[in-house]
Amino acid sequence: MSISTSPPAPVVMTGAGSTELSRSEPPIIVFEKVTKIYANGQAAIRDASFTVRPRDFVFVVGASGAGKSTVIRLLIREERATQGHVLVEGQDLARLKHRHLPRLRRKMGIVFQDFKLLPNLTVEQNVAFAIQVTDPGRPHLKEKVGEALYIVGLEDKLSAFPTELSGGEQQRVAIARALVHRPRIFLADEPTGNLDPDAGWGIVQLLQQINHRGATVVMATHNREVVDLCRRRVLAIEDGRIVRDEAEGAYLRDGDAIL
Amino acid sequence: MNPIPALKFVGRVALQNILRNRGIALASVLTITLTLLGAGVAVVVVHALDGVLHTEESQASVLKVFMADHVGFASEVNLEQTLGHQAAVAKATFENKDQAAQQAGSSLGLTQAINLLEKSGAGNPLPASLNFHLRNIKAVSELNREVRTSALLDSGPHPTDYNADVIPRLERYIFVAQLGGGLVVGVVGAVALVIITISVRTAAYVRRQEIEIMKLVGATDWFVRWPFVVEGVIVGVISALVASVILLGVGVGFGGGHSLALGVGVRFAALIVLCLIVAGGALGSVGSFVGVRRSLGT
Ligand SMILES: Nc1ncnc2c1ncn2[C@@H]1O[C@H](COP(=O)(O)OP(=O)(O)O)[C@@H](O)[C@H]1O
Ligand SMILES: [Mg+2]
Repeated sequence: MSISTSPPAPVVMTGAGSTELSRSEPPIIVFEKVTKIYANGQAAIRDASFTVRPRDFVFVVGASGAGKSTVIRLLIREERATQGHVLVEGQDLARLKHRHLPRLRRKMGIVFQDFKLLPNLTVEQNVAFAIQVTDPGRPHLKEKVGEALYIVGLEDKLSAFPTELSGGEQQRVAIARALVHRPRIFLADEPTGNLDPDAGWGIVQLLQQINHRGATVVMATHNREVVDLCRRRVLAIEDGRIVRDEAEGAYLRDGDAIL
Repeated sequence: MNPIPALKFVGRVALQNILRNRGIALASVLTITLTLLGAGVAVVVVHALDGVLHTEESQASVLKVFMADHVGFASEVNLEQTLGHQAAVAKATFENKDQAAQQAGSSLGLTQAINLLEKSGAGNPLPASLNFHLRNIKAVSELNREVRTSALLDSGPHPTDYNADVIPRLERYIFVAQLGGGLVVGVVGAVALVIITISVRTAAYVRRQEIEIMKLVGATDWFVRWPFVVEGVIVGVISALVASVILLGVGVGFGGGHSLALGVGVRFAALIVLCLIVAGGALGSVGSFVGVRRSLGT
């Protein structure tokens, strides 16, 4: 739907233009006075409110332990908000029944710092796995897997095993796997955390490309270089609080960055 | 969702699980085999004991109804037919005075005394009787109550006779044997269930990464759970087959190579094998269901 292998329409080719277009649409993600307190009493998110429009690209930045991963976990309903509401496409995740969780997850592509590939499956099998365990009868499985691997530039590594790939390539396989359901929302939690700067930059460019193809991207990171180079929307978290929300921000407050 | 590729997937993952965790699978087959063997032996022993008790019971389940001397043959036949047609009555036989004398003579050693009485002109003192063989030991006292109202009965102090004392004792034995067997089967079943649950939990732990990814990409609980359930059923059924082979082997061994020991017939043996397979499959599926629940986070 939003992501397709056919050439995207010109209007979604430019990131800046898409932001203009999405102003009139309802937000795809809403955090409404969200507080998350873990079972051990640790408050990870405190009274956080923000919205994300369709086709936005958002960096969630902050020091380690600030609460970035908790934002991602709340979005995929791995955790529930202790207070407030998290809405995805207008759906309040607090009211989402357990049996409807798969439907939510299939709308989303999710990647992590540690790739989460299955070591005993090939690249092709790893990507196919996402279809086999959700919709094993889906026709043209091989073609769909091929398409996803083509988008991430790994069409020539189909039968390689994850251990035979570089970190950047492994993350691309994870991204391809996240793409097979053609997600409208793409979530990445420190996707460059285990990568050297070049490979990391490649992954961020790939995420921007996915964004240009129409997906909303939320990327949690503490990779300052990447954030500063991209000049996309920045949501800064400190100790669970949203302290800054800038449309074309840097990792640090612009004033601080000069120092 | 198309069921056929889904089933293929489930079957393939289940087999992969078993092969990948051969050690755990083997250990569970071993323990479940042992527990099923325990249950099988318990069932066979209870069955054999039950057989012995039933023989005893059928021998004890005889109600002797003594007839008054004046009663004619037609009335006796009439009584025999009305009572003999009841469902609880397996067989009714008539024992005339001479047979009664012979019986008493041979079993009690009273031949001389009876001969003496006959010679003295008093005649044969033993009454004729109708003997009702009942299917069920409990029916004896009921039939006894019913028959005592008949006018055809001997007027002596004991117009009927049955083994009143042996009946409750036999009933108690049967009850204890069944209770004991049931207890063994229950305990053994619970142990097997715990073992399967633990082994599936271990298998789920080994596969936690796969399960995590499945949930992440939006697989339903069905897809996470069913390979484990199928795995449990496979392990349970294999265990049941191994236990059956051992049980039959031992049975034939003790039976002298031609028949099974303890008077177990072919039909009963087949029934046991079937029950073990069903029990193994049920244990496997229930254990897996419980074992995988933690991984699903429901
Ligand atoms: N499962 C959990 N149980 C308890 N505390 C947690 C859990 N996950 C995270 N935390 C705590 O919540 C805070 C935010 O964590 P996290 O969202 O992982 O931060 P970040 O991703 O920005 O490093 C930290 O103090 C962390 O220790
Ligand atoms: Mg984190």
